[in-house]
Amino acid sequence: MSRNSIFTWILMVLSSLVLLFILAPLAGMFIHTGGAQFLETIKDKEVQQSVWLTLWVSFAATLFFAAGAIPLSWLLARKKFPLKNVVQGIIDLPVVLPHTAAGIALLGFISRDGFLGKAASSVGLDLVNHPSGIALAMAFVSVPFLINAARDGFAAVPERLEKAALNLGASQSKVFFTISLPLAWRSITTGFVMMFARGMSEFGAVVIIAYHPMIAPVLIYERFNSYGLNYARPASVFFILVALLFFIALRLVSSKRKEKHINIDAETD
Amino acid sequence: MLKLTDINRKLGDFALTDINLEIPEGQYYVLLGRSGSGKTQLLELIAGLEYPDSGTIMLDNEDITRRRIQDRKVGIVFQDYAVFPHMTVFGNIAYPLKARKEDKKSIAEKVEKAATAMNIKHILERNTEKLSGGELQRVALARTLITSPRLLLLDEPLSSLDASLKDDMKRLLRNLNKAGQTIIHVTHDYNDAISLAKRVGVIHNGRIIQEGSVDEVFKNPSNRFVARYAGIRNFFRVEITREKGILSGITKHNVMFKLEGENRGKDGLLIIKSDSIVLTKEMPEDTGHNIIKGKITEIIPSEFGMEITLDAGDLFYVNILTPVFEKLRFVEEEEVWMSFPSKAIVALKGTV
Repeated sequence: MSRNSIFTWILMVLSSLVLLFILAPLAGMFIHTGGAQFLETIKDKEVQQSVWLTLWVSFAATLFFAAGAIPLSWLLARKKFPLKNVVQGIIDLPVVLPHTAAGIALLGFISRDGFLGKAASSVGLDLVNHPSGIALAMAFVSVPFLINAARDGFAAVPERLEKAALNLGASQSKVFFTISLPLAWRSITTGFVMMFARGMSEFGAVVIIAYHPMIAPVLIYERFNSYGLNYARPASVFFILVALLFFIALRLVSSKRKEKHINIDAETD
Repeated sequence: MLKLTDINRKLGDFALTDINLEIPEGQYYVLLGRSGSGKTQLLELIAGLEYPDSGTIMLDNEDITRRRIQDRKVGIVFQDYAVFPHMTVFGNIAYPLKARKEDKKSIAEKVEKAATAMNIKHILERNTEKLSGGELQRVALARTLITSPRLLLLDEPLSSLDASLKDDMKRLLRNLNKAGQTIIHVTHDYNDAISLAKRVGVIHNGRIIQEGSVDEVFKNPSNRFVARYAGIRNFFRVEITREKGILSGITKHNVMFKLEGENRGKDGLLIIKSDSIVLTKEMPEDTGHNIIKGKITEIIPSEFGMEITLDAGDLFYVNILTPVFEKLRFVEEEEVWMSFPSKAIVALKGTV
């Protein structure tokens, strides 16, 4: 056996250990969840509501924040401005903060005494213990994923294409919507999925803002605390399965564009 | 038509310096320069992709120095074509018309006309990702020409085409120019310049160092850099002396050249065209020519025959045609004689 192949074997063994580390607990959880127990959990209204709440709130948060995150990403990719590195650091801050600390910070901002909380309560909305507060907590910790992925996507669009479009008479906004955005779309979609996934799995920040209504991670935690591992397990399995289905659906949607291009090529060749 | 006055632009360590250029309507102007000479940057200033630090750009007597790219009516075709990869050929060519919000019928008619002119009508519905270099070039050109630019800027349009496509494209560009399109074409290729240009500018280190008709520039290169472009490799720095009425130049390796004309200074840079030198095995008769003995150090095939390198103290490069080479059968290490008339020696005005 050559030295090179021994080295390859070592890499494969190490890689397998890491994969096993990820898969073993998940597989164990699935194995230890009995079919009857699982069916009972699926039928549980409380579980259904919390999974549904988690999904739609995270999706809504992602959609809502994308409206500002995508333009910010373009600015970061294309423009030079003072303190750009500081801005980039601020964007990454939620990723490194302890999420409960992020929740505390956010609570000060959205509680009735806080700036945003006051503004919301003036229109009769209490953000604490409300889906909109949950959305803010989810977005706070997950929006960096969208901004960074979209920024990389815009940066990968050759600037020359944007310049060519300007030279052909297109306005700046037309260039953004017809050149930059479509060409960065795959990265933006990836960022979108990442933000959605990260928001959906958030516990620390959300639990500070809203214990109720209960999102799935809070519900799982509550069941574990109140009834133990066996009772928390089926809800976890159900949540994981629903989340996986959602990801696969989103991935399919985002890869459809590429497939379409490939099909056109194949037809015309 | 286009007039650049005292244009300066600093880009990091590099700077475009004191660019003055006047290009009349209908001109085919080739800007010749090596990569990194500043030729693309100059095109980008004219197109409005960048702005100069100082100086003015006038187009048809209008100051466009600070005008937005969209409003200049200067079309540019980039070296890498910059064809939009997520659109079909039709989408690319129609792009400027859609930007102008023209109606669908007019767009379809104009795109078809432009595609027919560029011979790409058959690929209009194709995605651009799998097009050949030549097809991409035509798409980029059609897309730019459909805007009816007052001035067409071409950045190395022939550099990535193979020989037959190059000829087609040259013909197309020549016809465009004949139809009245003013063109500025930047290239590093001397052959592009001589086959297309009505006027040539040579740019080096951000400065236009010589300008004129093709003949003017290449028959009387103003310096070593321009001479290199004309394929001249025999350069000699000499000390010029006049003794007993004979003007001569001596290199530091004691190679002596008989010169014609007036003594212009103490030092000079001489060039001798490679095909002006005749090689013989025996010492030629003295006809007043320069006669120099040298040893052949290398023989390599060239386009029309052989390029022979000789060491005569200084290195000389001599081109000989295949029939001559086959007759004389020179070999490496052989000692031979070079002869060339004094009028084959050109003294450069300056040095680079």
